Amino acid sequence: MKPYLRLEGIRKQFGANTVLNQVNLEIREGELVTLLGPSGCGKSTLLRCIAGLTEMDGGHIWLDNQSIAELPPRSREIGMVFQSYALFPNLTVSENIEYGMRMRKASKEARRQRSTELLELIDLVDKRDAYPQQLSGGQQQRVALARSLAVRPKVLLLDEPLSALDAKIRKNLRSEIREIQKKFNMTTIFVTHDQEEALTLSDRVCLMNQGNIVQQGAPEELYSAPRTEFVARFMGSYNVLSRAEALRLFGTVKGEAESFAIRPEALALLDQEREGTGLESGKQIVQGTVHSASILGNVIRYAVDTAGLRLTVDQLNDGRSLRMEENHPVKLVLDATQLLHLEKEGA
Amino acid sequence: MQASGERRAGWGHRTLMVVLLVYLFLPLLATFIYAFAKDWQATILPERWTLEWFGEMFTDVRFMDALWKSLYLCLISVALSLVVMLPAVFIITVYLPGLESFMKGVVVLPYAVPGVVAAVGLIRAYSSGPINISGTAFILIGAYFVIILPYMYQGIRNSLLTVSAVELLGAAEMLGASRMKAFITVILPNIWPGVMTSTLLSFSVLFGEFVLTNMLVGGHIQTIQVYLMRRMNESGHLASAIAISYFLFILVLSMVLMQLGKKVNKGMSK
Repeated sequence: MKPYLRLEGIRKQFGANTVLNQVNLEIREGELVTLLGPSGCGKSTLLRCIAGLTEMDGGHIWLDNQSIAELPPRSREIGMVFQSYALFPNLTVSENIEYGMRMRKASKEARRQRSTELLELIDLVDKRDAYPQQLSGGQQQRVALARSLAVRPKVLLLDEPLSALDAKIRKNLRSEIREIQKKFNMTTIFVTHDQEEALTLSDRVCLMNQGNIVQQGAPEELYSAPRTEFVARFMGSYNVLSRAEALRLFGTVKGEAESFAIRPEALALLDQEREGTGLESGKQIVQGTVHSASILGNVIRYAVDTAGLRLTVDQLNDGRSLRMEENHPVKLVLDATQLLHLEKEGA
Repeated sequence: MQASGERRAGWGHRTLMVVLLVYLFLPLLATFIYAFAKDWQATILPERWTLEWFGEMFTDVRFMDALWKSLYLCLISVALSLVVMLPAVFIITVYLPGLESFMKGVVVLPYAVPGVVAAVGLIRAYSSGPINISGTAFILIGAYFVIILPYMYQGIRNSLLTVSAVELLGAAEMLGASRMKAFITVILPNIWPGVMTSTLLSFSVLFGEFVLTNMLVGGHIQTIQVYLMRRMNESGHLASAIAISYFLFILVLSMVLMQLGKKVNKGMSK
């Protein structure tokens, strides 16, 4: 399938600092792609380059078979939602939503009809005449979303739209955004530094680091098969081991890789004093002691010391398992088939 | 316990406010009374009252002339500053933030140079050569422009930063507005109250400025400040009447400008 939005060799430097290093990306129509990465990785700059708000040093952008790199922001047919909402404080909610249509010289009736439609969608009809400062953060962000949708953009860009909101509103708004995106089949790029947000929301996640997309794929793929140490560490609480450490733990390891990763939930704990059940093939048991334990809701996360290493181990908190105390001796069940081989950074 | 503590704090605040207001208004009140006093020597309040000083002041054509001159010189300077500084500060803040540190240095210069030194320097620079404007209104307007530079620059810049002008501009552009249209429909209405405050402050500063005015054009143009200084030596009562009228004039003008600002703001939002 032909890409709807295509970025080719996007380059941007601020002084001597390379913020975007030849970034390529293709997005299908109706797809929701997340740009995920730590702060300063270039994800917001990439978004602003697509929007036309930041000038690129090199590269091409095609949208719907049309080159848009040379066009000013207003002619690109791209909508954007900002982290700080950027609602116009001097205009009411409905005037904010109608602003884009007013700039396009739409008739008053058409504007009114569209804003009512969108206000119903975001469930804020009764706030039509309120000013932005009279709304809560979540409401303001919904208005910002409606405002950018009002002009029926070809692509919607969301620049960390939820990071200024508290956890509960963030979760609600996250699913609301996904629903609206699906309803309009809106091609969307969502920037975030929150891996959980990226995993729950996206069709595809692009993980960025130091101006490059280091790995992209479906959320489950990125989570279960990180290719490099950076991805493994960023996507979850993977235990990353050097070759020497892996050999110490497992005895032997296959392949030539220099570093390995194992997911915390792929390790299992057995109480030292209780008898372990029969061991499946490929699994082995090592001795260890609990260093610390913390409850993360449905999961208990242990730090276990074994073979001179400190490993993170996740156990399901199903009510049957007791939380083990610090310095408690434990047996750690290792499964060599769960050990992932990592590539060298930048390879 | 907490409630009584709060009440005590409230009293403390109120007392402080009253002391401050008394401190600020007492000289004004004394001047006000003195302007209406015929005889005021050995009593707490004047023995006899009169409107003589105000009568004398308003019948003096030089007073009205000086007031008018001050008014239009200040208005022209402030308007010029607004026309130049508003786009300039906007462009620097939004498009050339690299220039900000340089601008910050430049705008504090008027604070660093004493009025007398500035006046002598200006007279020397502009009394000969290609721009010979010494003693004219032009040199005064130029000097006024420089004096209010810090107020205008900081006021406009702070307003732009407070409303996150860069983001608002970006949002407006993404919605299809040209830069000019975005500036007029989004930026200007939102920074207008701040700009208005800086403008009023600048106007008041200029209206009260004496040192530069007297040295630069004192012999040629009689502004209200210069006039006030001259008449002060004649009669304290008359000087008080002038000071009070001057104060009321500024008060009324500020209120009118404020109302005007609000109207313009509303008009632009629509």
